[in-house]
Amino acid sequence: MIEAAGVCKSFGDVHALNGVDIEVARGKVLGLLGHNGAGKTTLVNILSTVSPPTAGTVRVAGYDVTTQGAAVRARIGVTGQFASVDEYLSGYGNLVLIARLLGAGRRQAAARATELLELFRLTEAAKQPSRTYSGGMRRRLDLAASLVGRPDVLFLDEPTTGLDPTTRIALWETVEGLVADGTTVLLTTQYLDEADRLADWITVLSKGRVIASGTSGRLKAELGSRAVHAALTPDSDLSAATGALAAAGFQPRPDPERHALSTPVDTSADIAAVVRALDTVGAELVELTVKEPSLDDVYLALTQSPTALAGAA
Amino acid sequence: MALQERTRDTAPIAVPDTTAEWRGGSIRAQLWVLTGRQIRSMYGDTRLALFSLLQPLIMLLLLSEIFGSMANRDDFPHGVRYIDYLVPALLVTTGIGSAQGAGVGLVKDMDNGIVARFRVLPTRLPLVLVARSLADLLRVFTELLVLLACGTVFFGFRPSGGVLGTAAALLLTVFVIWSLIWCFIALAAWLRSVEVMSSIAVLVMFPLMFASSAFVPLKGLPEWLQVVAKVNPVTYAVDGSRRLALGWDLGLGVVGALGTSAVLLALAGFVAAKCFQRAPNA
Ligand SMILES: Nc1ncnc2c1ncn2[C@@H]1O[C@H](COP(=O)(O)OP(=O)(O)OP(=O)(O)O)[C@@H](O)[C@H]1O
Ligand SMILES: [Mg+2]
Repeated sequence: MIEAAGVCKSFGDVHALNGVDIEVARGKVLGLLGHNGAGKTTLVNILSTVSPPTAGTVRVAGYDVTTQGAAVRARIGVTGQFASVDEYLSGYGNLVLIARLLGAGRRQAAARATELLELFRLTEAAKQPSRTYSGGMRRRLDLAASLVGRPDVLFLDEPTTGLDPTTRIALWETVEGLVADGTTVLLTTQYLDEADRLADWITVLSKGRVIASGTSGRLKAELGSRAVHAALTPDSDLSAATGALAAAGFQPRPDPERHALSTPVDTSADIAAVVRALDTVGAELVELTVKEPSLDDVYLALTQSPTALAGAA
Repeated sequence: MALQERTRDTAPIAVPDTTAEWRGGSIRAQLWVLTGRQIRSMYGDTRLALFSLLQPLIMLLLLSEIFGSMANRDDFPHGVRYIDYLVPALLVTTGIGSAQGAGVGLVKDMDNGIVARFRVLPTRLPLVLVARSLADLLRVFTELLVLLACGTVFFGFRPSGGVLGTAAALLLTVFVIWSLIWCFIALAAWLRSVEVMSSIAVLVMFPLMFASSAFVPLKGLPEWLQVVAKVNPVTYAVDGSRRLALGWDLGLGVVGALGTSAVLLALAGFVAAKCFQRAPNA
């Protein structure tokens, strides 16, 4: 449903995107990660026909974004990084306006607005001007606005920024529901747990390039690391313990302040090996924890050391 | 893997499916909806509506007092009362003042998130501008009607062209003002800043208004201003409006006003649509 090849975008001397390729099949969710200024919003703008690419070809829902913009716009829904609703209209007024522009009759538009307001728990505030809404309410209204036309492809640019945990989870469930009904979603986010939960496929952007992509499981396996964290009793010798682990072939990182050390491990057998090595120098444990790989590790590994990228890109 | 691990303790919320596919309304339907929105938001602010109605009244009062003695001068058209001379021109100048509001309004609109929404909907973007211009035209028309009514009731405006002549003057003015509204819309779509818009508007408006035959006959102006006034489109508009209202022979005024306005309208419309099409973040 989304096919982009070699997409470049320059703003004068600023090269916001340098040859991005992405592909999302019908009913799938692509999570787009990247630090501030990586080019996520720029890419969403290009995919949603708002801004023309400097180079590259983009097809959304089967139509070319540069030559068949109107056909694309008829099939997409966009929730931008900043709310795009009329502050002077009520929530209801906004949704009716959008439905009418999409071609709905008066009564159909009213019915659609009412059901969306209900879905996003905005019924009570339906008749108030949207400028009086709280940040989270406005975000929900924005999302409702992007669903009025029952889009085939949905773009969500940091949809849960500023939402409270309950609302976030409710929004995730809504997105999951839409995906179950066949909607294709491209989602940008700063929250790795969000990408982990919603995305079938994750693409990491940095400085306008794709630096890694894969399922969250694969990225974690390749780039994330499992680590053992051991806190020692005060009378155990931290440097001896560090030495013993190094001798056993690990790369321990001592943390003198907490009188603890941690080391990356691969297999469960490694965990036992760590315990045995500590035992040889008589280091006594206060606590031993195993940290499973998370997308945060992947993300940090990717954005901090450029050498880590080669394997995953 | 994350996929398989997903737990669903709640049933997925299905977005209810009640309607057929909507792929974008017809031009007429979209224009109707957009214009309705503009008009409603305009009269949403009653203070704005009230003050914009007050403005022509104050002008009427001030100008008839300040320039009233003009009618006694030799070069003033014989047998014409100053109020009958003033009101047709005041129609035009009041209209110019209000046309400016269209530009400021559009810039504000562009700051309103809804325009970003229009850009991702199958909305024909130029229609947003047409809607804006029509709503502003309605606002100007209302102001001009109030001006005429007050002029008639309180100041004894009784032009020799009668009701028909006055109506024709009003229609001509409305057309001229529509083209000026488009000029301000084009400026706004290009500049996208309220501050720059307002300063340019003042810069453009006052010479247009005062270096013209609006308030005094051309011959009453200093020589160099006469030259400016002769190439000023407002002079044509005022002249046309005045000739219609006073029932004089039409001369070049009406045709000149219609012609210059039509050219202006086409030019400004093109520039406005072109500039507006580009998203601010494109
Ligand atoms: N209209 C513009 N003119 C000039 N530069 C721009 C423009 N829009 C974006 N950029 C630049 O392009 C780069 C990518 O910006 P973009 O908004 O896509 O980042 P992002 O990944 O969405 O960041 P964030 O997480 O902060 O939202 C940035 O360096 C930004 O300064
Ligand atoms: Mg962004």
